[in-house]
Amino acid sequence: MNQNNSLWVETRDLQPRLKQPLQGIINLLLVTAFFLLVWWIFMDPRGIIRWYTPQYGYMYIRWILIAAIWQVYIFNYWPFKDSFLNNKHPLIKGLILIGSNIVIVAFMVWVFCYAFLGNLSIPYLNPKVLTGLGMTEFFAREYSSLAILMMAAIASWLSPVWPVCFDNHPWQNLTQPARGFTVWVWTFFLTLIAFLILMHPHYHVLFYPWQEYAAAYPWWYGFARTLSGNFNVGWVMCGTVSIWFLELVFDRYPIRLIKKQPLRGIIGFLFVFTMAWLIFFAFLFLQDVSWGPAVEGAKRLYAPDWRHLHCGELACMMLIPMMTLHFYFDNWPKKYSPSINIAIRCAIIFIATGILHYLYYKYSPPILGTQPGYSHPQQFPMAPVILWINMMLYHYWFMDMYPGKRLATRKERLPVSNLIAEEA
Amino acid sequence: MSDISRREFLKGLAVGGTVGYFAMAGVSSTVMRNSFIPPAKVGAVDIGECKSLKIKVITETSWFNNALLMDDMKKAGGLLVNQYEIPWTNKGVTEGWKGDNAGGYATLVEVEFLDGSTKKILLDTGWNVDWTDTCFKREGIDKMLANGEIDCLFVSHEHFDHFWGIEATLKYRPDIPILVPKGFYQEGFDLLKGANFPKCHLANNVPHTGPLKVQESEKVHKLYPGVASITFDVPIITRVFGEQALVFNLKDKGLAIVTGCCHMGIISLMEHVKQTIKGGDNFYAIQGGLHISPFEDWDPQYDDLVLALHNYGLKTMGCNHCTGYVTAEKFVTIGLPVVKGTAQHKSKRDIFLGNGDMMII
Repeated sequence: MNQNNSLWVETRDLQPRLKQPLQGIINLLLVTAFFLLVWWIFMDPRGIIRWYTPQYGYMYIRWILIAAIWQVYIFNYWPFKDSFLNNKHPLIKGLILIGSNIVIVAFMVWVFCYAFLGNLSIPYLNPKVLTGLGMTEFFAREYSSLAILMMAAIASWLSPVWPVCFDNHPWQNLTQPARGFTVWVWTFFLTLIAFLILMHPHYHVLFYPWQEYAAAYPWWYGFARTLSGNFNVGWVMCGTVSIWFLELVFDRYPIRLIKKQPLRGIIGFLFVFTMAWLIFFAFLFLQDVSWGPAVEGAKRLYAPDWRHLHCGELACMMLIPMMTLHFYFDNWPKKYSPSINIAIRCAIIFIATGILHYLYYKYSPPILGTQPGYSHPQQFPMAPVILWINMMLYHYWFMDMYPGKRLATRKERLPVSNLIAEEA
Repeated sequence: MSDISRREFLKGLAVGGTVGYFAMAGVSSTVMRNSFIPPAKVGAVDIGECKSLKIKVITETSWFNNALLMDDMKKAGGLLVNQYEIPWTNKGVTEGWKGDNAGGYATLVEVEFLDGSTKKILLDTGWNVDWTDTCFKREGIDKMLANGEIDCLFVSHEHFDHFWGIEATLKYRPDIPILVPKGFYQEGFDLLKGANFPKCHLANNVPHTGPLKVQESEKVHKLYPGVASITFDVPIITRVFGEQALVFNLKDKGLAIVTGCCHMGIISLMEHVKQTIKGGDNFYAIQGGLHISPFEDWDPQYDDLVLALHNYGLKTMGCNHCTGYVTAEKFVTIGLPVVKGTAQHKSKRDIFLGNGDMMII
């Protein structure tokens, strides 16, 4: 593991085994097939394990994403060493890193949320505690899963802010694991604060009678026209997508032009925050144009809370073309000025998102076992979309894009002069 | 990318910020909204008028043990699993009907026209055939069916508790005209023909021989003078799709809406009626399941509905079944005109209309 502030994933040198676009297409098809298999085994309501109840399975999907972000962006693969990352076969490396990912998820859900916070602090974080209070097992699990997955959703927005915008400032000079744990504690502290403000008030009104002594009344009701925390879910998801926009599409431009920290971090965060609200408002407006204005108290398509949620769902769909372009097609184009490159990539992503949206709602019932229709209170397109993203991240971060790409050999990586000197 | 001066960066930031601000303001401004969002339609379909309604609750007890029903769904894989694939508990339920957890939903709607004549509509046909048949006998529905007094069976949607007791109706009148919403699955049509589904303990031994009409969605279907139905393309739990509701235009009163489960949402339904039916802004009554907290679960979205329902000026509400007791309590607390029941024939509480209760509008 390298000890400077750059990530191993950014410094690794991947060489193509095949030419583009064949290499990208084959890799994308493989990862998509793997996603469909995993979905069918674990989530599909017609499949084997059927965890997409929906919140229970969705919770694990969310935690897989944030655990992978922590592994790569916060801990830079610690405790694994550079020699392991550079030399292990991608399939073995993938298995070990994915295994570690699952262990982190299990720890965070079962130990941190269920056993620790759920037993000692907030009952809705442990379904057994809710069941003990008289709730049916099914809804106890669904309610706690929603809370736990929201913690992961907020973390997947706030955690990457520190490495991407702040360059881990002021802890950039620490070595791993000190840097990783410091940034993790700080960003997870921010996540918990954000959770208490954005999601805890949802639970004020979720239970009957209202829990007015335990949580604040949803402060967003006046302007969001709903008591549901879906208002915050929607824009927080847009925030998560914005940070990926900055990282993958914008290559951190123009924030990287600011040399001083924490100025770069602060402006970077404001950039992400503003972009999130722009995306959120734009998708709200698009929905109003498509279906007419939302109506207070209505259900399904006309429910204000569903409209907010759907902004997040639409934003998440943008991640698929964004990551496909970056991971599988080398972030094309790169030959123009940054602003032109970004404009072309954005155009591709917007068009591809529209196509994906159409295909998803047309074909997801036979393929994923979901129900037809846009608005359904028990299904969330974010679940399959994020699982697909998780599979892409496993492939890109943990498996060196095998088999379409390979890590450069030592000979390819080192300058010729170094090799001659070593041989001498 | 080369270095850039602070001045250039700030210039870029100012331009970007300004464009971003106008983009955000633009998409949410009144000017943009007025230009792009079509104005709300005013209802134009004239369905005529009728005089009065008598609504008899035959059974609103769809299941007897809520925790067991939820457990069946949990074990099967959650709320999206196909209802025909779930092995519903049908034995050993102490508070059930002869040990079976299945009950059902069925209501008789009698409409009186301006000339004094009447028609009877059977809204839904329960789940457990034996329970539904017992309720039919209690209310004299068996004889009405056998005598041809009931004009049609109006199936609100394909859910187990509203449709699977079809044999209870067909055994008395196999040729009754049936109206189902668009979205019925093949299993539903097969059940009408006499199919058996052992996995979910479902059977119909009396094939339907009468007319069957599938009601297209998003249209107003005029049934009789002052009576219409509307079908919604609505995805529902356990893989059901589509639901229809009845709308009555009562002379000198206003509109009354009678629902089976109202998965489309009562406010969504009333808003749709407003935009399609003439006089649709004058609501008088609603009756039936409102599908708010059927499993005594809750969601803040339901509070949105409870708080917004005041705006529709309803004079009387005969909600029951999947409305949920928690919802009814909230309705009563904020002063909505919920009609009380008598808590008899296995209906658990009198907070809303229960089995055997009648509402006259």
